[in-house]
Amino acid sequence: MLTVPSVTPDAISALSSREMRRAVMRRWLFRFSVLIGWAAFIGVWYFFSRLVFNPQQLPEPHVVAGESWTLITERDFRTNMQASLVRVLGGFLLAIVISCGLGWLIAYNAWWRTLLRTIVQLVVSTPIVALAILTLVVFGVSSLGPVITTAVVATPYIMMNVAQGLTGVDRRLIVMSESFGRTRSQIIAGVLLPSSLISVLAGARLAFAVAWRMELLTEIFAASEGVGFQIRRSFESYDVRGMIAWTVLFIAVMLIFENLVFRQIERRLQGRTA
Amino acid sequence: MATVLIENLTKIYPPTITYPHRVQALGGVNMSVTGNVFVAVLGPSGSGKTTLLNIVAGVETPTSGSVRAVHNGVPAQVGYVFQEPRLLPWRTVLNNMLYVQDRKSDRSRREAEFYLTMVGLNEVAHLYPSQLSAGMQQRVGIARAFLVNPDLLLMDEPFSHMDALTGRSLREYLQRVWLHTRKTALFVTHDVSEAVELADRILMLRPGGVVFDDIPIDLPRPRNPDDPAVRSVERDVLRRFDSMEAAVRFGAHAQ
Ligand SMILES: Nc1ncnc2c1ncn2[C@@H]1O[C@H](COP(=O)(O)OP(=O)(O)OP(=O)(O)O)[C@@H](O)[C@H]1O
Ligand SMILES: [Mg+2]
Repeated sequence: MLTVPSVTPDAISALSSREMRRAVMRRWLFRFSVLIGWAAFIGVWYFFSRLVFNPQQLPEPHVVAGESWTLITERDFRTNMQASLVRVLGGFLLAIVISCGLGWLIAYNAWWRTLLRTIVQLVVSTPIVALAILTLVVFGVSSLGPVITTAVVATPYIMMNVAQGLTGVDRRLIVMSESFGRTRSQIIAGVLLPSSLISVLAGARLAFAVAWRMELLTEIFAASEGVGFQIRRSFESYDVRGMIAWTVLFIAVMLIFENLVFRQIERRLQGRTA
Repeated sequence: MATVLIENLTKIYPPTITYPHRVQALGGVNMSVTGNVFVAVLGPSGSGKTTLLNIVAGVETPTSGSVRAVHNGVPAQVGYVFQEPRLLPWRTVLNNMLYVQDRKSDRSRREAEFYLTMVGLNEVAHLYPSQLSAGMQQRVGIARAFLVNPDLLLMDEPFSHMDALTGRSLREYLQRVWLHTRKTALFVTHDVSEAVELADRILMLRPGGVVFDDIPIDLPRPRNPDDPAVRSVERDVLRRFDSMEAAVRFGAHAQ
């Protein structure tokens, strides 16, 4: 026979307040470990620039921070950062538009599915340096090249997730909509779109990360302005400080963007459908 | 109020990759339903009940035969309650209701709130389906079907996923709303006592999708499942159900 220990209200509240304290502790530990991670990264950086290389080869963190600040205050910064951002977003948005169409085909047409899967494999497994050089060959030094290449690289990720989102839609909700006389466009807006949004968003996030790396690389080869171009110029004039500062700034802007935009949307969506 | 006329209706599902055989879901159904009646379609699992409702609702096409569901000469507006709630998880209860309405006005909103109140859910109109219990979700499904002011109500075992107590209270809710509107209703179930409690008429469907029996239920409303009169009718229907099962088994041996 099973004996059930008697649980008094006091015991429950003691237990729950202990659990609360533990949860709070865990959260602080988590934040602390993020800090430690950053500190360790900077420490390793110092270590390498002082003891492994020398500060001429790899400038120390505070030197790069100073250089970044100088860059930010110059007029150059805005024009170049803006040029790069516009291209990243342009390529990314283009990728989204293309992905919606192709994702639809993949979801509902077996022939297209096979064809596009093969193409996706090819694109995904091509080294992005090769694509960047190819961009230079095809488009020359232009604004359009980086945008197109960025879109090409980002599309597979979003496209596959659009398709996955669409095939994952609960068929029964569509039958429900039809039986209540909803039109095709009402069903697309009311069922297909929202239900595939989470999957699409996951793909979009991944695609964005790939997109800005690709764009930066393409700019190094095939642009006459933008962050990538500045990195290359710094490189050509042996300005390691400038190179690293531009890189750090660009990564910072992209990470802020990713966290602000994607995480916010994701959080909102999850709260609803959990 | 609608008239449903079904003649020699058959439905055969073609073979698929996973199940390479043709499946006959309906094998020549004939029935006619008209007026402010509540008709229960009673049949064992796999007898084609869901298929029948889907064809009447127009979301499935028949293989042969004819189906007409009309109201004053035009196609009847259908309100469908499914086996599971089928709510949009990303919309609140109220917005789920508004989704099936054509015009979005203050009036349509008030109507939605009226039917939610009818099923005792006005308080939770702003919550998402995942925040409700299964029984509450199904009540939203019922309110939604009434909201479109249907000429014809289709209900596909709406309480079969509920526990006995929830099912009992939901049947009460349904009776209450139905008595308020008295829409023509086709109610599919495999539960004899449920059919007797709710219906004016029971059509018994046998495996293979053929109507086996047509039983009128003459009991005053609202009905209480514990009432001896209801119980005795239930026993009678059960006997007929058994004789159908026996006939089906005998038929199978005879072949
Ligand atoms: N989309 C489909 N494709 C192929 N076969 C189907 C499909 N839908 C139903 N069937 C088959 O048709 C027959 C009748 O199915 P249906 O769902 O109409 O029965 P039911 O009476 O509603 O059963 P239940 O009580 O289990 O809900 C079953 O044998 C089923 O396997
Ligand atoms: Mg069914």
